[in-house]
This record gives sequence, structure tokens and C-alpha cells, in this order.
Amino acid sequence: MIDDETLDRQLREATPYIDDEGFTARVMAKLPAARREPRWLRAMILLGLTLLGSGIAYLLSGGGRFIREGVIQLSDFPIWLLLVFAFGCGLVVGAFAVIVAVHKTPEVRDVARLRF
Amino acid sequence: MELTDADLIARVLVDDDQHAFGELVRRHQSSVRGLLRQLSRTDIALADDLAQETFIRAYKNIRSFRGEARFSTWLYRIAYNCFHEDARKRKELVGVDDELLQAEHDPQTIDPGLRHDLMHALRLLPVHERTAIVLCCQNGLSHDEAARVLDIPLGTVKTNVLRGREKLKRSLAAWGPN
Repeated sequence: MIDDETLDRQLREATPYIDDEGFTARVMAKLPAARREPRWLRAMILLGLTLLGSGIAYLLSGGGRFIREGVIQLSDFPIWLLLVFAFGCGLVVGAFAVIVAVHKTPEVRDVARLRF
Repeated sequence: MELTDADLIARVLVDDDQHAFGELVRRHQSSVRGLLRQLSRTDIALADDLAQETFIRAYKNIRSFRGEARFSTWLYRIAYNCFHEDARKRKELVGVDDELLQAEHDPQTIDPGLRHDLMHALRLLPVHERTAIVLCCQNGLSHDEAARVLDIPLGTVKTNVLRGREKLKRSLAAWGPN
């Protein structure tokens, strides 16, 4: 009797590559029209919203007074504390970026799932 | 450097790039059409219609592809759903265009007689065993992936593969080593 390996090989060999022969073109012709939203429009909307948000925040905060006060307060801190603060901020942002990158990259997730 | 499936999918998602989707169709059309031809046991035109429907659905729903499985596995799932819906409408279809099927086979890799018997034996299997065999043995999916495609328990897939293999082996006993 044929063994499993031989049977699987024969099954694979019995189904060779099927030539496209216009299949892809037929599929493409039936696809719904692509939505045309230019990249620059998206960028302009994002930029506009960012500027609007910043403007509102500036006005509501009394002309940016809190920023000046914050900078003055920070300047009173010892330099080592500022360094620790900057390093901590960097760590938090870096960790967040790594988590998002791993979450969005299937290949990395697959490696994490491998059993050695 | 050739773009990966993930790169092409990203282009479709971000830019709605239909050329990128066309490349995905070109890459996967053979395996999807092959799967549907095996499943439908019927004329090749029907299988190709289902394959077209599969890719159109994939395009419309590509935002629901989360990258948790391979893109091909996701396509097989859609293809299987298309086949299932169609089979439900038509009930099971009979007959196959043997001439066309034979014309696509490469005569140098496998004995034509053995191929004929193998494909015939495969077509005689019940649909659930045939599907499991085609996905796991022909298309190289793991049992786990096949279970996801078919939306059935892993144990059922293993049983179907085992039973299907045994039936194929019995059908091909005359071709085995003496």
C-alpha cells in the first residue's frame, strides 16, 4: 500500500500550476471602482485639524501662559532630574512604538508563537 | 525585490491600489482555482466563476483581514464559503470536464494512469474528506489552518484527513510498491 508521504506527493503533483489565461484580468474588470481620495487631501485634512486643535488649545490656555510657566518650573529642577525625566519619556515612547510595531507585523507575531 | 503579500495588502488598504490587488490575484489564482475545481467536482467554468467571486469578496472585505493567518488561508476560507453557498443552492453537482482537467496536467511528473485513478478516487470521497485532503495534503495547510478555513474542530479535520487518506490508499492499492 502507498505510504502517506508518497500519497501527499502524488496529490501535489497531480495538481500543477493553473495558467492565468486572462483570469486576473476578468477579476480586475469586475472589481468595484477604487475610491479616489488623493493623498495630499488626507495630509491637508490632518494638518488642518492639528493646526485648529493647537490654536484652540493656545487660546484656551490664556495665550500659552502655562507653557512659559512650565518651562520656568522645569528650569528650576536639578539637571539629573531632567535627564531622568527625558530618559523615562524616551523609554515609554520606545516601548509603546515596539508594542504597536509587533502588533502590526504578522511575521514577528508568528516568530513569537514558535515553539522551540 | 519582490513585494510580500503583506506589502501588497498594505498598498490596497492605504491607497486602494488595484494593481497591488491584481498582483495578489495573480499569485493566488492557481491555488484558489485548483481548490475550487477539486471541491466542485464539476465543470471548470463553474469553479472559475466561484474563484472570481472569491477574489471580488476578498477585495471588498480586505479590511477584515487581520493578518492573523496567511493570506492564502484567508482566501481558502472565502473560497470554501463561496463553494458551500453555491452547493447549497444547487445541491451537489455531478460530472467533471475530464478532458480539460487532463489537459492541464504535466505528463512528465506523474504516471498519467496513476493521476487519473488518483483524481477519480479523490472525486469519489465525501465532500468533507475531499476538502480536508485538498487543503492539507495538496495545498500544504496545517490541520489547524484547515480547521480555521472550514470552521470545524481540529479533531474533525484530523479525522477527515485520516479517513480520506485511507480511502485513497485503498483505491490506489494496485499502484503501491509490490
